Amino acid sequence: MSTAARTQEPLLEVHDLRVEFGTRGRPFVAVDDVSFDVFEGETFGLVGESGSGKTTIGRAIVRINETAGGDILYHGRRINGIISRQLDREVTQKIQMIFQDPMASLNERAKVDYIVSEGLYNTRNYKGEADRQAKVEQALLDVGLLPEFASRFPHEFSGGQRQRIGIARALVMEPEFIIADEPISALDVSIRAQVLNLLADLQRRKRLTYMFIAHDLAVVRFITDRVAVIRKGQIVELARTEELFGCPLHPYTLSLLSAVPSPDPLVERERRAFVYDPGCHDYSVHGPVWAEVHPGHFVLGNEPELDSYRRTVDERHR
Amino acid sequence: MNEPILKVLDLVIKFSLRGRILTAIRGASLDLQHGETLAIVGESGSGKSVLTKSFIGMLDNNGWVDSGAIMFDGRDIAEYRSEKEWLTIRGRKIAMIFQDPMTALNPLRTVGLQISETLELHQGLRGASAKRRAVEILSDVGIPDAAGRYSQYPHEFSGGMRQRVVIATAMACNPEILICDEPTTALDVTIQAQIIELIRRLQRQYQLSVIYITHDLGVVASVADRVAVMYAGDIVELGTAEEVFYNSQHPYTWALLSSLPQLGIRGQPLYSIRGTPPNLFSDIPGDAFAPRNPRALKIDFEERPPYFTVSPTHVARTWLLDPRAPKVEPPETILAMRRKWRGARP
Amino acid sequence: MSTKLERQASLFTFAEYDAQAAERAGYSSYSYWGSTVRLFLRNKTAVALLIIMTVLLTFTVIQPYLPGQKSPLKIHTSPETGIQLRNVQPSPEFWFGTNSIGQDLWARIWSGTRTSLFIGLFVGLWTVVIGIIMGAIWGYVRQLDRLMTELYNVISNIPTTITLTLLAYILRPSVSTMIISMCATSWWTMARFVRNQVVIIRDREYNLASRCLGTPTQRIISRNLLPYLVSVIVLRLALAIPMAIGWEVFLTYIGLGLPLSIPSLGNLVNEGRQIMMAPILRYQLIIPAAVLSIITISFYVMGNAFSDASDPRNHV
Repeated sequence: MSTAARTQEPLLEVHDLRVEFGTRGRPFVAVDDVSFDVFEGETFGLVGESGSGKTTIGRAIVRINETAGGDILYHGRRINGIISRQLDREVTQKIQMIFQDPMASLNERAKVDYIVSEGLYNTRNYKGEADRQAKVEQALLDVGLLPEFASRFPHEFSGGQRQRIGIARALVMEPEFIIADEPISALDVSIRAQVLNLLADLQRRKRLTYMFIAHDLAVVRFITDRVAVIRKGQIVELARTEELFGCPLHPYTLSLLSAVPSPDPLVERERRAFVYDPGCHDYSVHGPVWAEVHPGHFVLGNEPELDSYRRTVDERHR
Repeated sequence: MNEPILKVLDLVIKFSLRGRILTAIRGASLDLQHGETLAIVGESGSGKSVLTKSFIGMLDNNGWVDSGAIMFDGRDIAEYRSEKEWLTIRGRKIAMIFQDPMTALNPLRTVGLQISETLELHQGLRGASAKRRAVEILSDVGIPDAAGRYSQYPHEFSGGMRQRVVIATAMACNPEILICDEPTTALDVTIQAQIIELIRRLQRQYQLSVIYITHDLGVVASVADRVAVMYAGDIVELGTAEEVFYNSQHPYTWALLSSLPQLGIRGQPLYSIRGTPPNLFSDIPGDAFAPRNPRALKIDFEERPPYFTVSPTHVARTWLLDPRAPKVEPPETILAMRRKWRGARP
Repeated sequence: MSTKLERQASLFTFAEYDAQAAERAGYSSYSYWGSTVRLFLRNKTAVALLIIMTVLLTFTVIQPYLPGQKSPLKIHTSPETGIQLRNVQPSPEFWFGTNSIGQDLWARIWSGTRTSLFIGLFVGLWTVVIGIIMGAIWGYVRQLDRLMTELYNVISNIPTTITLTLLAYILRPSVSTMIISMCATSWWTMARFVRNQVVIIRDREYNLASRCLGTPTQRIISRNLLPYLVSVIVLRLALAIPMAIGWEVFLTYIGLGLPLSIPSLGNLVNEGRQIMMAPILRYQLIIPAAVLSIITISFYVMGNAFSDASDPRNHV
């Protein structure tokens, strides 16, 4: 999506993030020591199946979920755990989220005007009624909706329009970083294109950074610059998108890619999916580590595996 | 050409909603051949679920078949009104599986009992023989340790396993037609591949004819012999999978294919359709897709296009195929698909 | 002929494409409150009872100001003999007759209805307002949940009968005692009910979105949660009123109700009950019982009708 040259300073850093749910005695570990960086202006993809923890990571960043360990740094400042009120307000304004289900993410009993202005009311980031209305109008126009929609209720709109209202709600805060949690999974096929185009366009115009959480690899390939594959709370591989699709290393990544159907009957005839077997790793002697096997290409594996990955990558790049 | 196992003729289905009449299916025609997989593609509101529900008499209470026919087994089953008549077909000759396996199974009864029940009802098996057959079927759909898992409850199975159980229940009576309504949409992609493979195997094994309803064109390409594209209660294009993917003729099919990220070019906007499907409460003059079609003809707003024949197996309902129509260039994605096809043909 | 061909040819040219019109096409004219009102009005019984209750309520308020009304406490004596006019049948002079000490039953009925309705409405409103506020906070603020649930488990296991009896005994029977004691016991059930509803919807995406936007708890409760609970809240309110009146009747039965100097439906029914074995005196029971029944049934039916009407699942 974004071909902007990225600065080396990460916008968001996640170090050894750990999120647990449930009782203190036997917690369920949803996110297990996850680390990655997101750079300014890029679209970072987080791909995984259900229960992988990808949504939990997004929610931990916007402080909906509590973290049990590790740090989340934004512009170098820690934003998880207990933080000052002022920092909390800053995070609320600068980091926003787009949700998955347009039918559930809007308050049915409130007008679109209130829904879009909700954040403004909270941060009081407007100079009076007229200014607020102008901001709402602009946000609606930015997402391709008509300003007259502000006086209507969500049920009067289609799924795609509702999702755009959700995007307008995030945009009106003038954020820097938007976490899009499966923003198109619940939409019809032809509407997905609309929303993807909109997100790309907004990124260019407003210089946004995205974290795109998804389970659909085809979409991820199309819009992300870098992508991390997550399984059961652990990131197993992270690389630039084309690098990951062109030279996948971890067996789980390979299995995932083999299972994705392609809208091309001739290609489909040849495709053979295979199942990932966690038993293919022997971590009894050498435990797995997270290592960079090629510039920008990280994999989870033990030393013998990493060696073989390095060889594969070098072969590829020759 | 052999006699199709199921033939739908000009079917019109209406619903009474909040005092108004909604025409969910506006004159659809299709046929299903023995042993083939027909995929019905459409977005929400296209009517694909309603259409197939009418094949087994599962329309909601406020819906009815207004006109047209559904020919199966030499009879017009659209005429059926009583539960008794439908029970000779439903589950026995035509079975259906749905998207959410959790709500399709009774959480309070063991899995084995649910299958045995179907066997007792439709095939008259009792007790031990029903159980034996149920275990056989469970193992047939790929559930390991079927005998042991016979007495387990649905919540003890994972999503993919549950869907296998649902398929087992549907297959218990050796139906002739299996209708799958988005069976893999709620499943992870790796499980989806397995379920698709399972259905394919069962189809070969039992000479099943399968109707696959989905919005995922990747799944369509993977499973379908023939494809029907639905829009606003009408079938706008019908042909073999190759014909519909590589030589599509209807602007809606073009829009659908062009909007796929798999076929998009990085950095460039995807082709997208503005607006939303039409309101089915009012009569739609002309082509239902016209208001959203940037290259619509004036006649698209006035008169409904008939089916034009592209090949003996391929029809499309668009005025663009009329000899009087101007030549319209489809989007780049479609042209690329056409070139690919021409290159691949011997 | 040629114009037809020309027209046909011209139809095969491109039409104008209006992108904004395509955008507008998604509009649906469904209105939540409109559908609610329409569904409610379709229930003829509920509408009839609503009219009856409105008339009844209006009448209880204006009755004392109408000409020719008698005081509910005055003991009427025959002008000729000076004897109290006890147990007089319903007649032109006393429309509902008199009771066993010569008081005008018509005046007593309306005075009693006023008192009972006042108690019922006050308690009902208190139950709903306090119950909702406490229940919403209880349901939404996770830290409070544990404490409140434990408290509730203890308090709800004490039979209401005992609490009301005890309080009536301690504070001496009067209208305010009755109101205080019923208010103290009734809001817990409502709060618990609201808490359960809130727990169901508090983690839905639109509430997460509000948290993400920094919306304070109080506004999440008032704008995000409560509007969804309207259906269930109105039902509970409508049922709380006859329930409060019922408790008042009950307390009167066991002797802890209002004194006879304050007529209420409870003590009117009680008086009537004591002499109901004599057929000619049964009117003293039937009339207050009828009024009580009308009120109870009306609120019950109206409450259910509105609750069903405001449930979005019925708006098909």
